[in-house]
Amino acid sequence: MREIARLSLVLFVITAVAALLLGATNYVTKDVIAEQIRIENENARMEVLSDADSFEQMDQATITGLADSLGIDNTVIEEVYEGKAGSDTVGYTFKSLPKGYGGSITVLTGISMDGTVTGMRVVSHNETPGLGAKSTEKDFMDQFSGLNAQSDVEVIKSGTAQNNQINAITGATITSQAIADGVNYSIKMFNELNK
Amino acid sequence: MEFGKNLFNGIIPENPIFRLMLGMCPTLAVTTAAVNGLGMGLATTVVLVGSNVVIALLKNVIPEKIRIPAFVVIIASFVTIVGMLLKAYIPSLDKSLGLFIPLIVVNCIILARAESFASKNNVMNSLADGLGMGLGFTLALTIIASIRELFGAGSIFGISLFGAGFEPAIMMILPPGAFLTLGLLLALLNKVTATK
Repeated sequence: MREIARLSLVLFVITAVAALLLGATNYVTKDVIAEQIRIENENARMEVLSDADSFEQMDQATITGLADSLGIDNTVIEEVYEGKAGSDTVGYTFKSLPKGYGGSITVLTGISMDGTVTGMRVVSHNETPGLGAKSTEKDFMDQFSGLNAQSDVEVIKSGTAQNNQINAITGATITSQAIADGVNYSIKMFNELNK
Repeated sequence: MEFGKNLFNGIIPENPIFRLMLGMCPTLAVTTAAVNGLGMGLATTVVLVGSNVVIALLKNVIPEKIRIPAFVVIIASFVTIVGMLLKAYIPSLDKSLGLFIPLIVVNCIILARAESFASKNNVMNSLADGLGMGLGFTLALTIIASIRELFGAGSIFGISLFGAGFEPAIMMILPPGAFLTLGLLLALLNKVTATK
C-alpha cells in the first residue's frame, strides 16, 4: 500500500513539473506565435492581391449567409478580406478550406474587381511530403494567376493547360483538385459579392 | 574513448534503421525526398540527445516500476516545448521541420534508447548514444530518400539530374517505393556484412 502511494506521488510530481514547464512555455510563446501567424497571413494576402495596400475583414455572418444562398458548405470559406488601395476596393481575398488527401488545405485566393484571379497561395496543409506537398511550390501556385473568375477552374492530368485549366501535380490529383475546388468556391463567392 | 565508441555505435554497428529496425513508420512515410529525410533525421537527433540527457540525469529519481510512463511524459513534454519554441522564434525552420516534430513523439527510437541506454548510463555516454543514434537515423533516412527521389522524381535534394526527357517512376515516391527501397537496401547490407 505504501509502495503504491510512493509511486503515485513520484509520477504525480513528474507530470506536475512537466505540466508546469509546458504551461510556462505556452504562456511565453503564445502571443509571439499569434503575431507570427498574423504577419504570415498579412503577407500572403499581399501576395495574392498585390494591388491592395490595406485589408479589411468582412463580417462573418454575411459570408455564411452568402455561402448558404449559393448552396455551398458554409464552413468551407473561412475568411474574406476586402482589399483596398486608398479608399477604393480593388478586390477580395478568400481563405477556403477544401478537403485534400490529408485533411483540410488552407487555400488563399485573390480576385480583383475586374474578375481576374490575381493569385493563389497554399497557406497550410497536411499533404504527403514529396507529392501533395508540392502544391506549395511556385510553379504550381503560379498557374492560377491570371485565370478568369467567370467560370470554374478545371484540373487536367496531361497535355497543355488552356483557358481556365491547370495541370495537376503528378501523383497528387486529389490535392490538385482540392485546391482547384477551393479556388472555385472563392470564384462563386466573388461573383455573388460582386453582383 | 568510451564517448567515441558510443557515438559510433549508433551510426553503423547498431544503426537504428538498418540494424535495430526501429522507427520504421517515419522511415517509410517521410523518405519521399532527400531534403525531407535529412530534416526528419536532424529533428529526431535533437530530440534524442535532449531526452537521453534528461533521462540519464533523472534515472536515480525515477522508480523502476513507473519508468515507462515517466519516460513518455518527459519525451512528449520535451518535444512539445521544442515545437512551441521553434514556432515562436524560428518560424522559417518550423516551416520546413514543423511537419516532422509531432511525428517524433511517436518515434520508438526515442523510447527505446531511453529504456535500453539512457536509464542505465551516465549523462556523457547517453549524450553520445543519442547523437550517434540520431546521426545513424539521419544517414539511413537520407540514403533511402535519395534513392527514392532519384528514381521517383529524377532529382536529388531538388536538383534535377536527368533533364526534361526523364520519365520518373512515380511508384518510387508512393508507399510501395518505400518498402521496395528499404527491403532491397536491407538485403544488400545483409549480403555485404554476412559472415560464413
